[in-house]
Amino acid sequence: MVSIVFAGVGGQGVITVAMIIGKAAVMEERNALMTELHGMAQRGGRISVDVRIGDYRSAIIPIRSADLLVGFEELEAVRNLGKLRKDGIVILNRRRVHPVSMTIRKMDYPDDLIREQLEKFQVIDVDADGIAFKLGNKRVANTVMIGALHSTGVLGLREESIIRAIQGSLPDKLWEVNMKALEEGKKIVPLQAARTK
Amino acid sequence: MPYDVLLGQEGKKEFLLGNEAVVRGIYEAGVSVASTYPGTPSSEIGDILYVLGNRMGIKFEFATNEKVALEIGAAAASGGLRSFVFMKHVGLNVAMDSFVSLAESGVRGGMVVLSADDPSMHSSQSEQDNRYIGKFVKSVVLEPSNPQELKDFIVAAFDLSEFAGHPVLVRSTTRISHVRAVVKFGKPREKNEWNYRKNPSLVLIPENAYKAQESLWQRIVKVSKSKYANYFNRTYGSSDTLIITSGSAYNYVEEALSKLMKEARILKVGMSFPLDTEGIMQEVRKAEKVVFVEEGGPFIEEQVLAECALQSVSKKFYGKSNGMVPYSYEMDVDRVASSLSRVFEVDYEPVQSAGGAPNREPVLCPGCPHRATYYVATLAMRQKGIRSPIAPTDIGCYTLGFYDPYRLGDFCYSMGSSIGSSSGFSMVAKEKVISFIGDSTFFHAGIPALVNAYHNNHNFLLVIMDNSTTAMTGGQPTPETSPPFNRVDIESVVRGIGIKDVFIIDPYDLKDSLETFKKALSSERLSVVISRRECALEADRKKPLSELKVFQVNQDKCTRCYNCIRNFSCAAFYTEEGRVKIDPELCDGCSVCSEPLVCPFNAIEVVE
Repeated sequence: MVSIVFAGVGGQGVITVAMIIGKAAVMEERNALMTELHGMAQRGGRISVDVRIGDYRSAIIPIRSADLLVGFEELEAVRNLGKLRKDGIVILNRRRVHPVSMTIRKMDYPDDLIREQLEKFQVIDVDADGIAFKLGNKRVANTVMIGALHSTGVLGLREESIIRAIQGSLPDKLWEVNMKALEEGKKIVPLQAARTK
Repeated sequence: MPYDVLLGQEGKKEFLLGNEAVVRGIYEAGVSVASTYPGTPSSEIGDILYVLGNRMGIKFEFATNEKVALEIGAAAASGGLRSFVFMKHVGLNVAMDSFVSLAESGVRGGMVVLSADDPSMHSSQSEQDNRYIGKFVKSVVLEPSNPQELKDFIVAAFDLSEFAGHPVLVRSTTRISHVRAVVKFGKPREKNEWNYRKNPSLVLIPENAYKAQESLWQRIVKVSKSKYANYFNRTYGSSDTLIITSGSAYNYVEEALSKLMKEARILKVGMSFPLDTEGIMQEVRKAEKVVFVEEGGPFIEEQVLAECALQSVSKKFYGKSNGMVPYSYEMDVDRVASSLSRVFEVDYEPVQSAGGAPNREPVLCPGCPHRATYYVATLAMRQKGIRSPIAPTDIGCYTLGFYDPYRLGDFCYSMGSSIGSSSGFSMVAKEKVISFIGDSTFFHAGIPALVNAYHNNHNFLLVIMDNSTTAMTGGQPTPETSPPFNRVDIESVVRGIGIKDVFIIDPYDLKDSLETFKKALSSERLSVVISRRECALEADRKKPLSELKVFQVNQDKCTRCYNCIRNFSCAAFYTEEGRVKIDPELCDGCSVCSEPLVCPFNAIEVVE
């Protein structure tokens, strides 16, 4: 049984990624639940998606119960930290989307707050946008994130199911670059683990 | 095709959104006619039927409002076909007049009305519990708990509806309609044949209504005495603590119990009107403590307590009536555990979320034409010396004009309320009244209110923000969408009412829009500005790659006057150490911020 929170901003593809994980679980005949929360904005509002794999009835993850938090945006990751277990893992794309209410007041992005809050957890930094840029298609950033998420081993899903689930959500011509993105994503966790040792 | 999985064979299992499961359900039930007006959290049902309806043999249409949708369904059901009408909870208020009559008249073909309630008001103006509406009009009320049940209950609801000759209300909530789960498919049933017979109970003149009233109660009794009385209910577990629960609240009970390491007997109610009081009272009699866990009001609780009073049954009760379970907002495991901790007299204090993160208000998308409209409207008012107007607004993306920096939103109750309230404000207020409504909302409920305003000679400025789509619910068509439908032209409607001062602007053209707004604000009678520009999200989908561009701030030219962020306030702007920057990932390339009316220093340039 595993619970994962995905958090980001509208337009980042948060729901698509969460759905790929859910579908991969269902392909393995596992029970999966997913629920999303977003406000009235079509773009730029906050989004969080809860995915639970296993014998659950509640799609909403209780406070301090998530095993993983996948952050697509720094502030939104911090906003959802309360859902994460004390020993939970944060997988974070270092992307910043400034809230308009801060911009109007000419406030800088709250780096100190973010650092302070994230310190309490094990954080895996993923430069998903940078890697995607190097691969020549910035849209594969989310596949890099999936690779990193998978390589934690916490999901307990077979790589083959994840690949099939990604495949199901893509046109064929984007297939190759997404496979490369997945491979790059998979390298991140072992690399960072080696570094901390 | 994206939704083709919903046509899959019997026995297939798919990972479906609750709303997708609904579509599969009505397909399996052999529905012939379906209609709606889009509203979250039910919108996806319509999106899918719009694409898949024909292949499922379902005649589907987006109606101008929920009342029209319900009447479309009622007509089909009167001729023996199965019909399905769905809407968000507040949509049922709009359909209410005919919904009462529908229950009075009864149906021949099965008819199911789905209400998607929104506890916690994620995207609504209230969290009304429509089970009460179901009981009020005396339709049958079913409460599924998850996508699988949503589908299965809908299929059974049609059989029940035909068995009793009575409409069924299925009450879903956000955490059912917008939950994704594994759903196993059943077998699609054949459709009913059209078989219309004249029926006086469809003509509710007093004489016929008097007879229908008697038959209505007979239909309810028929359901109560049938196999359906406890068909949707389930009881399990052994304990002298009985938890009576339903809907999505049920999903949280077991995990909450396990957090407290306690056990209870669980009675999951699937049909909450008419309630199986006999079966439920048997359980209540055996229990020592009875707990009610519901989402919304104490709907089942009140019915059971009334029965307990009648039968002089006294127990320890825990529910919303005595403050043991919270009244407001959606439930979750932590809230249920916290309520149950009082029942079991143990401690449970869920740790609160990590605080301190600054809020992220919902915003208009980069490129949104509404932003440009609000910007010029504000500028025009300032130039005309109008300091504090009263600005009624309406339901749509443009309601976000309520937030900084526009602050144009002083009244918003329900669909169309901008225009009705503007009549009231202009009757008594000393302030200038400038009112905002979107195209889809105008068609839904704005037209009668505008007729009223013109007829009664009210003086206000109405801005119709026409982006040619129902944007907030995901871009559904409107009466302006054509072909294949006949296009209804807003300008002709407004002029047809008799209004003389009608102005058309393209909000992207700030200079012209400003002059036009000033003219409209000078009018001494009812005037209308139609601000016409396609929704940016829709336009972006059609834009060829070669036309994509992004803008940047030339820091050498920027004087840091901050007009762009303070007054125009596009979501793509941000500041870093006092410098204004544009996030290239977010910039839509609409170019409006580069106009001299936003940046008089020409500091905003295209990235070459």
